Amino acid sequence: MATVRLFVTCLVDVFRPEVGRAAVTVLERHGDRVECPVEQTCCGQFAFNAGYRQEAALLAKHFVEVFEGDTTPIVALSGSCAAMVVHHYPELLREAVIEERGSVKEAEGWAARAMAVGREVVEFSQWLGQGSPDSALGTVGRQRLALHQGCHMRRILEETRQPKELLEQQGFEVVELEDSDQCCGFGGTYSMTEWRVSTALADAKLKAFQDAQAGGAAYLVSSDLGCLLHLAGRLRRLGAQDPTRHVAEVLAGEEDRP
Amino acid sequence: MIGNLPSDPHPWSERREAGLANTTMRQTLGLVTRRFSVGKRRVFAEDPEQEAARRLGVEAKRQAIANLDSLLDQFASKVRSNGGTALMAGTAHEAVEAVRSIAATHQVKVVVKSKSMLTEEIQLNRGLEAAGLTVLETDLGEYIIQRAHETPSHILAPAAHKNRQQIRELFEDDAKTAGLAPPVSDAASTLTQYARERLRREFLQADMGVTGGNFGVAETGTVVLVTNEGNADLVTTLPRVLVTVMGVEKLVARWEDLTLLIQQPAMNGIGQRLSAYTTLISGPAASVAEGPAAWYVVLVDNGRQRLRHTVYEDVLSCIRCGACLNVCPVFRQVGGHAYGSVYSGPIGVVETPLLTNFGVGAELPSVACTMCHACKEACPMEIDLPGHIIRLRQEKVRRHLNAASLTASYHWWSRIWATPRGYRWSLRWARRLQGLYQRQGRLVRAPGIARGWFQTRDMPPVAQETFIEWWQRHRGGLDRERRS
Ligand code: SF4
Repeated sequence: MATVRLFVTCLVDVFRPEVGRAAVTVLERHGDRVECPVEQTCCGQFAFNAGYRQEAALLAKHFVEVFEGDTTPIVALSGSCAAMVVHHYPELLREAVIEERGSVKEAEGWAARAMAVGREVVEFSQWLGQGSPDSALGTVGRQRLALHQGCHMRRILEETRQPKELLEQQGFEVVELEDSDQCCGFGGTYSMTEWRVSTALADAKLKAFQDAQAGGAAYLVSSDLGCLLHLAGRLRRLGAQDPTRHVAEVLAGEEDRP
Repeated sequence: MIGNLPSDPHPWSERREAGLANTTMRQTLGLVTRRFSVGKRRVFAEDPEQEAARRLGVEAKRQAIANLDSLLDQFASKVRSNGGTALMAGTAHEAVEAVRSIAATHQVKVVVKSKSMLTEEIQLNRGLEAAGLTVLETDLGEYIIQRAHETPSHILAPAAHKNRQQIRELFEDDAKTAGLAPPVSDAASTLTQYARERLRREFLQADMGVTGGNFGVAETGTVVLVTNEGNADLVTTLPRVLVTVMGVEKLVARWEDLTLLIQQPAMNGIGQRLSAYTTLISGPAASVAEGPAAWYVVLVDNGRQRLRHTVYEDVLSCIRCGACLNVCPVFRQVGGHAYGSVYSGPIGVVETPLLTNFGVGAELPSVACTMCHACKEACPMEIDLPGHIIRLRQEKVRRHLNAASLTASYHWWSRIWATPRGYRWSLRWARRLQGLYQRQGRLVRAPGIARGWFQTRDMPPVAQETFIEWWQRHRGGLDRERRS
C-alpha cells in the first residue's frame, strides 16, 4: 500500500471540490493511503504564464515549502499544474531569486529544492496507470467518452497514453476529438485578457465535441479542470448542459451528477 | 543595431476583429495549415533519415550563428572572388538605399522579384517604386497579393488567406488592364497558367532581378533559393542585373551543412520531400557561363546581430519554414495580417518585438499566444518559441508595458495566495461578495481582470466548502496521526 500526497490545485479546491473527493475515492480503491497537505494553495502557473515572474516565484516557494522534505509521491489533479512544478519551477526559482537577491548560491539552492519536489510529482492518471494494468479500481465504465488531452499534459509532460489507457482498462470507450491536438483556448488568464480569441477556440473545440456526441460520446473528459471550466462555462452561457467531467469523476463512477 | 519593421497603424483589437470576422480567410487558412501539418508528419514518418539530417542541421546552424562574424567575412570574400559584389546593410533603410543605388547605377526601369520575406521586412517594393521603378512579383502568391495591394498573411504561402474564387476575380480585373484573356475557371492550374502568361512578358522586359536567399554557403559564396514554381530560375537568369537581398543569419559554413538543411523548409513547411526548384546563384555570367552581367548580394542585419550572445540567439536559426504558423491555434483564428507586421504566427510573436526592441509588436507576446506549446513541437530548428514568449512577457513586466490594473492584480493576488491564511481569507470574501454576480447558482459577471471571462462564459461559484475545508472536517485527523 502506497501513501500519496494530494496536489489538489486551486481550481479543483475552489470551484469543483467534488473532483478532489472523487480522486480520494479512486485512490483509496486503488489501495493508496491518501494525505492532503492542507497548507497548499496554488502553484502559480497563472502568474508564470502571464510573465509575472516574481509573483509566480512567491507561490512556487510556498508550494516547495509545503511539499519538500518527504519522498511520498505527490499526485496532481491537473496535468498542466504537474508540468508547472516538474518542468518550470527550477528555472523559474533560479531566475527569480537571482533577479531579486542577486545571489547565485541562493538561487541554486531554491532550484535544487524545487527539483527535489518535482521528482515526486506525478499526474493522477499517470499515477494510477503505473500499476499493473488490471489493478481494480472498481469502476464499471460503460459509456463512450470524448477525451480532451490538455496541451501541457500532451506536450510538456509528453503524456499521450494516459488517461486513455486507464479509462479503457476500466471499460470505457474513449474517442478522440477531431483536431484533438489543437488548444481549447483556455491558456490561464489568456482566457480573460484575450477572451475573443479564447472563445473562438472554445467554440472550435465544442464543435468537435458536438460531432463526438452525435457519435455517442456521453461526456467530455480531461485531466485538466482549467480547460473543462472554460468549455463548460461556454456551454452554460449558451444554455446547454455541462457535459465536462474530470477523469477522477468518471473513474469514481460519479459522472452522473446534475 | 535596432531593426525597423513595418507596422500596421491599426491597433491589435481592430486587427484581431478583422481577422475573426473574415470567415473566408479562417476557412482557407484552417484548411491550408492543417494540410501542411499533416503532410509534414507524413514525410517525416516516411523518411526517418531526414530526422537525423534535421538534428545535424540544427547543430550546423547553431554553429554558424556562433561564428557569424567570420562566416560573413568568408562569404563576402567568396562572393567577390566569384565576380559578385557583397554589401552589408545595418538597417532596413540602408538595405533599400543600397538596392536603389544599384538600380540607379545600372539604369534599371523594371524589376522582377522572386519570393522574399526579407524584402517585405525592409519594404523594398515601396522604396523602389518611390524611385520611379516598376516592381513585379513573380511568385504566384506574391503576385496575387501585389495585385490586391496586400501584404503576406503567411511567411511561406503569402496568399493563404484567399480562396480561388477571390483570386480569379483579381485576375479578371488584371486581365482587363493588361489586355489579356481572363482565366476561364478558378482551377489552381488555370490560375497559375494565367499568371505565367501574364508574367512572361514582364520577364523579357526586366532589367533587374531581385531575390531573397534561403541559405548562403560561406565556403563557396553560393546563395541557395528553394521555391515551388521555378520563377526564381527566370529571375536569376533573364535580367542583366541580379540583386540578392538576404538576412545575415542565413549563412551556413559548409556545403555539407547545406545538404543537411536544404530539404527542411519544404518538408516542415508544406510536407513535401523537396521543393520543386532549387536555384543556386554562384556568380554573374562572366564566371558561370549564363546569367546576369552583374550580381550583388546585400546582407541585411536589421536588428538580428543584437540577438547574438543572448538567450534569444536560437531565433536566428529560423529557416522560415512556417511550420510554427501552421500549428498555431491563434494564427488559425486571426490570420497573418492581425500580427501587424511582416512575420506572423509564433515566430512573428517572438521576432517582431525582438528585432525592433519592442518598437513594433510589443503587444504580440501577450495577445497572440495561449501557451499551448504546439509551435515548439513543430519547429524543426528546435527554437524555444514558448519559452521566449514567456521571457518576452517577463520583459514587458520589467518595462512596465502592461496595464497597471493587470500588474496590480497579479501583485496582490500572488501575495495573498502565498500563505494559507491569505488564501482562505480571500475565499471567505469571495463567498460573501459573489452573490452580487450570480444568476441561477452560477457566476455570470465579475469585476477586475476576470471580467473578460464572463463576456462569453459562466463559472461555478466559489464552493461553500472547498476541498481542503472538506478534508479538514472529515479527514484532518489522518494527517495529524501520521505526523505524531
Ligand atoms: S520558428 Fe521554426 S517552425 Fe517557425 S518558421 Fe522558423 S524554423 Fe520554421
